[in-house]
Amino acid sequence: MGKMVKPLFITLIILLLSCGTVLWLASNFYGILMVIGSIGLFFIYKGIAANREKVKEDLKRFTLTLSIPLIGVIIAVIIGAIIMIITGYDPIEAYAALFYGGFVRNWHVSVLNAAPLIFTGLSVAFAFKAGLFNIGAEGQYYVGAMVAAFFGITIYLPPVISLPLILLLSGIISSLYNFIPALLKVKTGAHEVITTMMFAHIARYSSSIFIRYMGGDPNTSRHPYVTYPILESNWLPRFQQFLPHANYRLHTGILIGIFFALFVYYLLYYTRIGFEIRAVGLNPNAARTQGISISRNLFIALLFAGFLAGLAGFNQVNGLDHKLFENLSAGYGWDGISVALLASSHPIGVIFTALLWGALDAGGQFMQRTAQTPNSIVEIIKGIILFLVIARYIYAYIGNRIRKRRGFVKAST
Amino acid sequence: MAGATENTHLLEMSNITKQFPRVLANDNISIYLKKGEILSLLGENGAGKSTLMNILYGLYKPTAGQIFLKGEEITINSPKDAIRYGLGMVHQHFMLVENLTITENIVLGNEPGRMGILDYKAARKKVKEISEKYHFSIDPDTKIESIPVGLQQKVEILKALYREAEILILDEPTSVLTPQEVEELFMVIRELRKKGVSLIIITHKLDEVKAISERVYILRKGKVEGERITSKVTKEELANMMVGRSVVLTVEKEKKKILHSPIFSIKELYVKSEKGVDAIEGLSLDVRPGEIVGLAGVDGNGQSELAEAIMGLRKIESGQIFFKGKDVTHLDTKGKIRSSFSFVPADRQKLGLVLPMKLSENLIIGLHDTEPFSNGLKLNLKYIDEYSSRLVKDFDIRTPSVSVPVSNLSGGNQQKVILARELSRKPKFMLVSQPTRGLDVGAIEYIHAEILRMRDAEVAILLISLELEEIFALSDRILVLFEGKIVKEFIPEDTDEKEVGFYMTGGSKDDRYGQNG
Repeated sequence: MGKMVKPLFITLIILLLSCGTVLWLASNFYGILMVIGSIGLFFIYKGIAANREKVKEDLKRFTLTLSIPLIGVIIAVIIGAIIMIITGYDPIEAYAALFYGGFVRNWHVSVLNAAPLIFTGLSVAFAFKAGLFNIGAEGQYYVGAMVAAFFGITIYLPPVISLPLILLLSGIISSLYNFIPALLKVKTGAHEVITTMMFAHIARYSSSIFIRYMGGDPNTSRHPYVTYPILESNWLPRFQQFLPHANYRLHTGILIGIFFALFVYYLLYYTRIGFEIRAVGLNPNAARTQGISISRNLFIALLFAGFLAGLAGFNQVNGLDHKLFENLSAGYGWDGISVALLASSHPIGVIFTALLWGALDAGGQFMQRTAQTPNSIVEIIKGIILFLVIARYIYAYIGNRIRKRRGFVKAST
Repeated sequence: MAGATENTHLLEMSNITKQFPRVLANDNISIYLKKGEILSLLGENGAGKSTLMNILYGLYKPTAGQIFLKGEEITINSPKDAIRYGLGMVHQHFMLVENLTITENIVLGNEPGRMGILDYKAARKKVKEISEKYHFSIDPDTKIESIPVGLQQKVEILKALYREAEILILDEPTSVLTPQEVEELFMVIRELRKKGVSLIIITHKLDEVKAISERVYILRKGKVEGERITSKVTKEELANMMVGRSVVLTVEKEKKKILHSPIFSIKELYVKSEKGVDAIEGLSLDVRPGEIVGLAGVDGNGQSELAEAIMGLRKIESGQIFFKGKDVTHLDTKGKIRSSFSFVPADRQKLGLVLPMKLSENLIIGLHDTEPFSNGLKLNLKYIDEYSSRLVKDFDIRTPSVSVPVSNLSGGNQQKVILARELSRKPKFMLVSQPTRGLDVGAIEYIHAEILRMRDAEVAILLISLELEEIFALSDRILVLFEGKIVKEFIPEDTDEKEVGFYMTGGSKDDRYGQNG
């Protein structure tokens, strides 16, 4: 291959991939074709450049990793259908509505739903990699949202400066919100599940006070309470600004999410910070024996997890709502756990599981309206998917047990 | 002795095959056992010995094959069945409840008494009876946690006898014992045979086969390689059949003059164990460049605490550690690795490797944040792959690629990964703990050769091992560790395993349980 062709080829793939992604997310379905095309080109390129065996191996691994969540989804859909038949709904009609609503008609709602889930999902996934369970992503989300609302209302600067500034502020302050749980974890071994969970409650209910302070008026009968709107200069750009056909609410927060997913992926697998975090997560004893500080890495992991979850709040306030609602049942933090689990903590996987989750929600609402099938069926399906995916850990556990037994046999023969 | 008729064997396993998902563990194996016989199953790790016995004991179901007891075909679906047929098994890892007494452990699962209430007196009497019958001297009221490993093993044997076992299977019975305890075990085994018990001993130690058994089956790669009367076979022949090629039983070690002054020394070290008691009490030692100092001792005499303290993984209460004349007592692990310490931990899966991580990642962990493995924050993945491929080749690590999780590798290859990592750091001081535990002859030979090569490259090596044979094969000087102190120093040429073993168990302080002799 010529010297010039190679970078050209790569540029073409990246261009196709990014344009395709943007178009796809902005409800233009030619976008997905471009994404698929670019992935195909990538493999062709790999096939020419590297040896075939390796490409084959990669493809095999790729399909293998995808197969488990996919099988989970299929089985869940089947079980959902059985439940619908038993309870007297038409599963075909309902699923048609679910699919049409989630992936076609209200795709923009799916994307809007997915954006905060990418951030909270990444947050949980990143902590998982260090062997931590950041169950309190919900709390860090609220902190991020409050910070974003506060500075969104008060900072008046050109968007080029103010948006990155607010993003960083909400991320950093949310990460500091995890400082005490991290400190307790490292110093006393207090379990992060307990501490971050408690901190999540504190943050959620503090947000009510914050909202009242920032404009929510308890004397009016308007519910839910909201803050003052943020300044229009602090709004995230919307797709409509450059793609006229896109839905007017659709903002570019999802692109920031994807950027951070790539960033987290890079951090985990291409830097020594990620290397240490993964080593500590997988075998802290061995990591320590090699001079890696466990406490330092747990600290980094929890703080960065807080940072990511906080960005979900920024995304909602500056992208979608442009104010902070007193909406205590949004549950983006909790759903982030599902999204991370479903993606087996892979940062790129989180993008897709978040979109799936978002689409199920959007499609569920559409299904309820058009097919008169209760939305709760979607929640049941979500539960089953998650169960089956977590059950994979059970399979793995059983597999390990067998292997261990076999290993034990081997060692003692 | 009333027994089976002349031409039927007490027990026969015929054409046993066991297929695991990816491994054919037993391939058409046929063996038999005569009444009152001591039979050995000899083979390397993974030869299928334990699998075969686990089938016999009902822990695995055979894929094909039959089992005959006294000429009749039987099926054994669970250990319960096996016990019913008079089979007993003592596993390599004992299955005892630490904080129950010996009596309670023996009767557990088969307690005398009514309506779920244990009749301790009756149980105690029964245990006493059995132990007297077989000349075991034990105190039935002692708790398991306070008795040594050798005695625990006897409790396991008694457990089987209590259930009226006529055939006793012992899985690697000597792997945890001191030489003295081994002697005692052999006496017990002979006593059992006198009383009409037939025994099957699983082992990979040639000496034991010769010392205790009458007949031996040699297993290799899931097949019976041969059957021999032990009195008519040489160790070399057995070894050849076991590994399928000639092995050198002792490493060739050139005598070496060591002139240098110590590069590594420990002075009056005190370290506490997890339980807060002194595990190392005033230990001092020196290691010179080009010297292997072997630290012999029974497990649990402070080995792991000492290793952790040296590597900066455990707090040092008092005392000092010097390296190249500098005080490194409180240098952390990272600092020690940087100043050319190497450590091969005893528990390779828990401390040595991050099993789910890639082979290449395991080869660079520890130095992952230094040039050339990383530039600034970025890992130099290309270099890491090249470097790992080179080590894989140099150390003959058998793996499909450098990016497979290291958990996919066999035990011997995992140990080679650790060795490759530690040796390639060009250490000046190496702490090697149990480097060949659970490995087969081929891997042991290789690892010993590598360690000696490091010695010849003027590395100071402290070898901690529970295997006396290993200590003798490698050491230039032997220190005996007992209850956290060095109790004796030997030159290997001037002593033997018996003498070292004597000091390992506390020397003259021994005989707490009145069963020596």
